[in-house]
Amino acid sequence: MHSLSSRLLISVSVLLLFFFGATIAVLDSAFTGAGEQARRDILGGQLVALLAAAEPNDNSELALPSRLREPRFGQIGSGLYGELRKDDGTVIWQSKSALGMDIPAGEIPAMGNHLFARETMLDGTPLLTLSLAVEWEFDDNSSKSYVFKVAESMSSFNAQVAEFRRQLFSWFAGVALTMLLAFSLLLRGLMKPLRKIETEIGEIESGSRTSLSDRFPTELTGVARNMNVLIDSERARSDRYRVTLDNLAHSLKTPLAAMRALLGDRPSDEFGNRFNEQIDRMDEIVRYQLRKPAASVVDKLVLQSVDVEKEVARLIDGLGKVYRDKGIVFDASVKAGLQFRGDSGDFLELAGNLLDNACKWCAHRVRIKVAPSASATAVAGGMVLSVSDDGPGIPEDAAGVMMQRGMRLDESTPGHGIGLAVVKDIARSYGGHLSIQKSKMGGAKIIVSIPPLTSAQAK
Amino acid sequence: MRLLVIEDDATLRESLVKGLGKAGFAVEQAADGREGLYCAQEYPVDLAIIDLGLPEVSGLDIIRTVRAEGKTYPILILTARDRWEDKVDGLSAGADDYVVKPFHFEEVSARVNALLRRSGGWATSQLDAGPVSLNMSRQELKVGDDAIELTSFEYKIIEYLMLRAGQVISKSELTDRLYDQDFERDSNVIEVFIGRLRKKMDPDNSIKPIETLRGRGYRFALERNQSD
Repeated sequence: MHSLSSRLLISVSVLLLFFFGATIAVLDSAFTGAGEQARRDILGGQLVALLAAAEPNDNSELALPSRLREPRFGQIGSGLYGELRKDDGTVIWQSKSALGMDIPAGEIPAMGNHLFARETMLDGTPLLTLSLAVEWEFDDNSSKSYVFKVAESMSSFNAQVAEFRRQLFSWFAGVALTMLLAFSLLLRGLMKPLRKIETEIGEIESGSRTSLSDRFPTELTGVARNMNVLIDSERARSDRYRVTLDNLAHSLKTPLAAMRALLGDRPSDEFGNRFNEQIDRMDEIVRYQLRKPAASVVDKLVLQSVDVEKEVARLIDGLGKVYRDKGIVFDASVKAGLQFRGDSGDFLELAGNLLDNACKWCAHRVRIKVAPSASATAVAGGMVLSVSDDGPGIPEDAAGVMMQRGMRLDESTPGHGIGLAVVKDIARSYGGHLSIQKSKMGGAKIIVSIPPLTSAQAK
Repeated sequence: MRLLVIEDDATLRESLVKGLGKAGFAVEQAADGREGLYCAQEYPVDLAIIDLGLPEVSGLDIIRTVRAEGKTYPILILTARDRWEDKVDGLSAGADDYVVKPFHFEEVSARVNALLRRSGGWATSQLDAGPVSLNMSRQELKVGDDAIELTSFEYKIIEYLMLRAGQVISKSELTDRLYDQDFERDSNVIEVFIGRLRKKMDPDNSIKPIETLRGRGYRFALERNQSD
């Protein structure tokens, strides 16, 4: 239940169920109540009619005519039955309709009282019965007790009630469905701005948009505005961080260079050498700290999409100039349109250091290959970058040592260690890893795998 | 060779200028971006050393402007920011190489020599043409197997001519590139030096390394030996 719409829909469905359930119950009981009351009234009337039709016969017994005014008494199985019993239960008369039927004797009411009852015939037909016990006074002043009873089959009434309920349910179900449909349509409309914010944030994350648009309903403009402020400040923060680092680098390293220059002006001696060593140490520390991955300080919202092909081409172009004397043949194979999701400086640092190392060590050939990783997506990136050369290669036992900061196998090629350590740090900050292998060309092959970015990653 | 150094840190700039001057270069200097841009545009320069973090006009802007104007001399950038982003920006803007601060002076002078040699189309610091060979790192000239003793000015001239082997170099270009600004500019001096070089390198006038094109200048006439 993480979606607002599903929460709302479920709440509304529960409410509808509750209200409609109550309504159905009330309507049902009103309908059956009214129906039953009507039946009782009718039964009362029939009973009165029977009473009126009863005449004493010559044997000082009550008798009823064979034809009664109510035709249903005369039709067999019509559902309306009449009966006259003595107070000892002996049946004196049964309506023609009850022929072959077995009307249960039931409870006999107290003298002069009406009694409604629900009874069941042997074949299971439900009956509504009305009995009346009377004391009949004959002309000879003798009197006898009789029980008049009318019964009506409830089958048709029950069928009516069932039909009524069926209709009631289907109508209400129809209404409920229509309401839910209308409601979800309405909801979709209402949620549209929210979905738009979501889409736009996705676009910001994938780098195709820089801020949220300003066309939102009043309730959301505040959110959108604050979001933009947040994104801007986040960007400004990462820019400021970069600028601060740049300025720091410049203001630390220029004096270092000046110190070295001053040292260079005097004849070289023990003091000068030791001073130079200290300058080297300071330089290493500053370089390493300042080249730390930028991704640890930027949020996913400010990550860029880096055009890998273009940046690799730029690097090869630049390194080609720097190493022109070696006449290096570069072999670049980059999947067209591949994007690195992260900081452009970080990508240049990854590829730049690896290529620079390869150029330093190679005899003539440097190969770079960048391909999307198996689980790569356009938004989250994910790639495998490998750089190989035809140089002497890196002995296996030395590979681990080399990846530690500042470690160099060959002091004559400066900066090798820091470069690889920086690559390792950046790869790690993107959740990736680095491995050193032997290249088919004979030299080293360094592979950096960067997995697709997850939202937790950027933190 | 006339170099231009654009660097705002005075100590560093002065030390570079001094060191490069000692190495035999004529050096112009500028202390900020605006002045540097002016020098880079207006002075006859063989190579420029440009700091990227300059006040007023950034090093990158100077490089872009100069390249947009069609100047092709090599540019070496000095950068304190050694993130690849900055290096690649500099190289893409038109620089040819970079040195990261804090550097050793030898690093800078080695890069400068390499860039100058390359801009003349030479692949190594050993320039071989016919029997003549010039080793730039040792500043040594040989004809056949004989080492030729040269004064520093004679060396500058033959180096300049050999780096641009096959091209016609006018007297005024030679004076521009080889003298420091405050030097007295007298083209007769050049003629004298060329004469001395010819005598030293080719005493019996058999190989004729330096050609005179009347009214146009001089040309190092020997074919470059194909190396590699």
